[in-house]
Amino acid sequence: MSFYAIGKRTARKDSVAKVTGWEKYASDIYLPNMLHARVLKSPFPHAIVKKIDTSRAEEMGAIVVTFKDVPDKLFCPRLVSTPDATYKDWKVLTDKPKFVGEPIAAVAAETEELAQIALESINVEYELLEPVFDALESMKEGKPRIHDKIMLNDKIIDIENNVACRLELQEGDLEEAFKRSDIIIEREFRTSRGYHNQLEPKVAVVNPEPDGGLTIWCTTQTIHNTRLLISEIFNIPVSKINVKKLALGGGFGSSIQTNIVVPIAVALALKARRPVRLAYTKEEDMHEHSSYQMIFRLKIGVTRDGKLTGGFMENIMDIGAHQIQAYPLLGTCAGWWVSLYKLQAIKYVGVAIYTNKIPSCAYRGYGNPQVTWAVETIMDELAEMLGMDPIEFRLKNYVGERDLFWGQGPTVKSIIKSCGVEEILKKGSELIGWKNRPKPGEQKGRFRRGIGMARGYHTSSAGAPIPSQVIDYSGAILKVNEDGTVDYITGLVDQGGGTLEAHAKIIAEELGLPLKNVNIVAADSQTTIYDVCTHASRGVYAGGGAALNVARQVKEKIFKLASTILNAYPHTLRIRPDEERGQAVIYVEGLPGKEITLGELATLARIKNLGTIAAVDSFRPPACPPHFTGYFVEVLVDTETGIVKPLKVVIGADVGTVINPDLAEGQLHGGFIMGWSRAILEDLKYNEEIGDIECRGFIIDYKMPTAADIPEEIKTFFVETYEPTGPFGAKGLGEGAQNPAIAAISNAIYNATGVRFYELPITPEKLLEKLKEKEGRKLAVEDAVKLT
Amino acid sequence: MRADYVNLVNTHTVPVRFMYHSPETLEEALRLMREYGGEARVMAGGTDLIVDMKLRRKEPKHIVSLNKIRGIEYIVEEDGGVRIGANTKLRSIEKNSIVRERFEALYEAVRSIASVQVRNMGTLVGNICNASPAADSAPPLLVYDAVVKARSIDGERKIKIRDFFKGPGKTCLKDDEIVTEVFIPYPPGDSASTFFKISRVSMDLAKVNIAILVKLSSNVVEDFRIALGAVAPTPLRIPKAEEYLRHKPLNEENLNIVEKIVSEEIKPITDVRSTEWYRREVSKILVRDALNSTIKKLVRT
Amino acid sequence: MKIELIVNGVRRVIDVEPNELLINVIREKLGLTGTKYGCGIGECGACTVIVDSKPVLSCLTLAVEVAGREITTIEGVAKNGRLDPVQEAFVEEGAVQCGYCTPGFIIMAKALLEENKNPSRQEIIEYIKGNLCRCTGYINIVKAIQKASEKITLKERKTT
Repeated sequence: MSFYAIGKRTARKDSVAKVTGWEKYASDIYLPNMLHARVLKSPFPHAIVKKIDTSRAEEMGAIVVTFKDVPDKLFCPRLVSTPDATYKDWKVLTDKPKFVGEPIAAVAAETEELAQIALESINVEYELLEPVFDALESMKEGKPRIHDKIMLNDKIIDIENNVACRLELQEGDLEEAFKRSDIIIEREFRTSRGYHNQLEPKVAVVNPEPDGGLTIWCTTQTIHNTRLLISEIFNIPVSKINVKKLALGGGFGSSIQTNIVVPIAVALALKARRPVRLAYTKEEDMHEHSSYQMIFRLKIGVTRDGKLTGGFMENIMDIGAHQIQAYPLLGTCAGWWVSLYKLQAIKYVGVAIYTNKIPSCAYRGYGNPQVTWAVETIMDELAEMLGMDPIEFRLKNYVGERDLFWGQGPTVKSIIKSCGVEEILKKGSELIGWKNRPKPGEQKGRFRRGIGMARGYHTSSAGAPIPSQVIDYSGAILKVNEDGTVDYITGLVDQGGGTLEAHAKIIAEELGLPLKNVNIVAADSQTTIYDVCTHASRGVYAGGGAALNVARQVKEKIFKLASTILNAYPHTLRIRPDEERGQAVIYVEGLPGKEITLGELATLARIKNLGTIAAVDSFRPPACPPHFTGYFVEVLVDTETGIVKPLKVVIGADVGTVINPDLAEGQLHGGFIMGWSRAILEDLKYNEEIGDIECRGFIIDYKMPTAADIPEEIKTFFVETYEPTGPFGAKGLGEGAQNPAIAAISNAIYNATGVRFYELPITPEKLLEKLKEKEGRKLAVEDAVKLT
Repeated sequence: MRADYVNLVNTHTVPVRFMYHSPETLEEALRLMREYGGEARVMAGGTDLIVDMKLRRKEPKHIVSLNKIRGIEYIVEEDGGVRIGANTKLRSIEKNSIVRERFEALYEAVRSIASVQVRNMGTLVGNICNASPAADSAPPLLVYDAVVKARSIDGERKIKIRDFFKGPGKTCLKDDEIVTEVFIPYPPGDSASTFFKISRVSMDLAKVNIAILVKLSSNVVEDFRIALGAVAPTPLRIPKAEEYLRHKPLNEENLNIVEKIVSEEIKPITDVRSTEWYRREVSKILVRDALNSTIKKLVRT
Repeated sequence: MKIELIVNGVRRVIDVEPNELLINVIREKLGLTGTKYGCGIGECGACTVIVDSKPVLSCLTLAVEVAGREITTIEGVAKNGRLDPVQEAFVEEGAVQCGYCTPGFIIMAKALLEENKNPSRQEIIEYIKGNLCRCTGYINIVKAIQKASEKITLKERKTT
């Protein structure tokens, strides 16, 4: 298919602002007469506040709020599930802290330094409770209870054995499937706990308005859910709360929920009746959100001819001290699993367990990278046991076109209509040199190369043909200006991936506009219609669908209006971009000269009192089509230090129509490096003695790769497919860009060394230990330069 | 144990109030240090001190900045070695041709410290005065037998670098002393030196770092010096290993013994960066790799 | 105490306390919010500014220590409303995603190319390893700096 705007390499509209320092992030908002806030956090992982004395802070003139000053109401900071599937166990400030870093009180003062001094004057007496840090321990009988009662929607429910929520699924006859199997493999996997490490720490600036309302500038992936939640907690009419849309300094899931800084700043601003700025530091940010740690038990059967039969999966998720919608995650983890490969019978048991740790929230992939790591490890093992080529084995079993797909969980099902898996695997294996890869574990010598691959996918949005337990729709407003440009107004937040740039191209394509004529204008929750959130790789697919939807409506109105002015039937009209005039031109096909520019049309419409050409509408995506990716990685393992280096990386992707090629490549680059880091480096380990993360929030000890740690080149390619439900055939990418990375790296390490890992991350320490175990105490030194 | 630090660190500010002194002469600085002693801190680059203050590890009442003092920013050859002044930035050291050509291990070590930005701010003297067990500049200075010159109002004291470090964050400096210079004697002729480091990512503190210096006479080791960091409370030389290898041929058997001595002499711990076991294991391979690399340099010249 | 700074070529006189950090003076007192706070302990490079032609971390610099010095922030990189070749290259190479780290990287790239017009890939990655980016995987940032170097060389060839 040939496009005019789509698929072209263009500079993104926000890039000039971003390279010149003009772009405004929430952390760049300073208001006149503003107070600066600091938060008092629990130094204990599990305690009860017996007494809190804030008098000295107040004597200093600081505004102080404690758990006594905030609404005594349980809430869930993330609003994506329907209310009947929403578990609520949070308070803005608590008197029963459940993790080190949980907010107890907050102060606001004229400067941050004064706020800090006031904060340090607050005296708190704690009664200590026994903490529990391991999910498997926590769910045992007789362990300390982290929550007694929480809410499910508007009902109070009891929590037993720290089980926050659970989900069990069963389809087909698993016993029979296992009976038919020639090989049954069973493995236990333990993932790490990751920190998003987005560059911008969480921040909220709140201005109390004279009508009792609030204006809020904050880090968020969803301005509409932020305003709904603040309304719910503080009982302020939703219409009086306005949340501004700003550039976001990286999200990766960490602002899917309303960050705790927002309600805390609101509480302070309401009390102070002055604007309040609460900016977390990196250390506080790291105590605000982390990823889930998951323990999987996975059992899969296969017949001798390489057909998978059935599978059992147990998923025990350590969710930390609070739920940020762990329940839908239990569903998606099942979905990620069963939608990778065809299994005729399945059983799934998912349990979310409370521990006294930092609350876990979504983190790029929403459990998919973890599940894919487990499944793709097992696929590699099975292929080897069967004596089959791992790629062939995958092609024999993958879920593809016309198959039922329920990546987003059991209530979000649809049929796959576009799929480029085969081409990804074929082309990728050629580019990496798959045929010439070493045999696992056969190399000798200090430095060993290994090639590994893994494939995966992610859903594009959580849309479906029918309602489900997940809310998913976007909204857009489009209006034509008298200069022939259009203003695109959306509540959808661009986390940085360039989603809005894709929308601009979609609009330009549909309206025949020069791309520069699409204005992405400033917006907030008052001037936009509802958009659920920038998550689930939905920005281009669902948000872009909403943009296309209004563009179509505007186009229809343009033709209707032009038909009267050009005196031609609407269905004979066409629209084309005229780069020379810098305008879209509406013309009658076959009649040269019978044409009008969009600017002229809009101007005439005004003069003739015909109104503004505009459209506003919501758009519910009819499916959540998977975008597919395949990773091929060559690594070099130093068997004397356990250090692994990436040598060559090839990534293939099927994202339907590619709208922004350079930004799509950028997603794959960033996805690989993040996956690399999750595979070999990152882990928020807990130090049980202090009850806090070992690194205490300092990124000096929570490392991520630098420019000097990456492969020289990442070769990317896109296979051509067309998703019929997507805008101009497009699907999402953000999460599929990372999902199989960990698995491919882990498989490459196995290929190099013959050592399998069932625990992440694969640090040099762990790898060296395994290698020494395998090969005896003293490794061969034949590679060392002879020293004579 | 409680995690009280969660409420103390970090803020966007330096929530510590101090008197700021910016003397224009060294004498004035020394007088200030005598006057304020234990309540004062010397600031050169500030990269360590500001972090320590932000993280509330140090709360000095006085800061004596060396910023305006002239004449202590230099790298000069003199008296059989090179003198590096207290205000000399790490970045100037790595760009200096004498250092690059004659003190390879120091050059390699300085380049591996933090980032360009930090090296534009931080000084060599600051790096050693901070006395981190993992300080990258320490192992090379140890193998070169550097001398630290410290001054107080009473006069100058020369301290062997080997006697300088006393523990994590501790040096033998007195409260009123300022380090004005590090003197590094030339390594023996026809020797070569190397610095290696293992870390989590390429901008990082070391899990283990090492510097060695070798001089060969045909195949026999004439001089051998070795120092490691991040494997004990202070960076340390390993005299036992040095004595063992001196006057011996460099062969696999001797190398194995040296590796073994090193792994026995160090006292690593498990911390957030690595484990005791790993540090011991990779110390051995670092000895081997550093030796290989040094021999290659000797062969090249 | 009163100090004088030359910020992006403009002389500014500011009243500061001894414990005030340069980053806060730049962002809050001068309103130049392009310089970003990332980690506050010198690990991420988002706050990098140029002081007397050398890139330093404004989060670890006391304002009083740079009194009288020339400071370039990201706002001072484009001249007369025209993007610098480094900025152009970042825009063209897709080196910008969320953009929060971008000012720090551009300042570093500027400083590098002033020091070394034709840096090798190795020299580039060594130079920018003190700047963290979570979005791009650095691939296009490195490419952008290579392209900026080419642009500058080409420009010089044209003018000579």
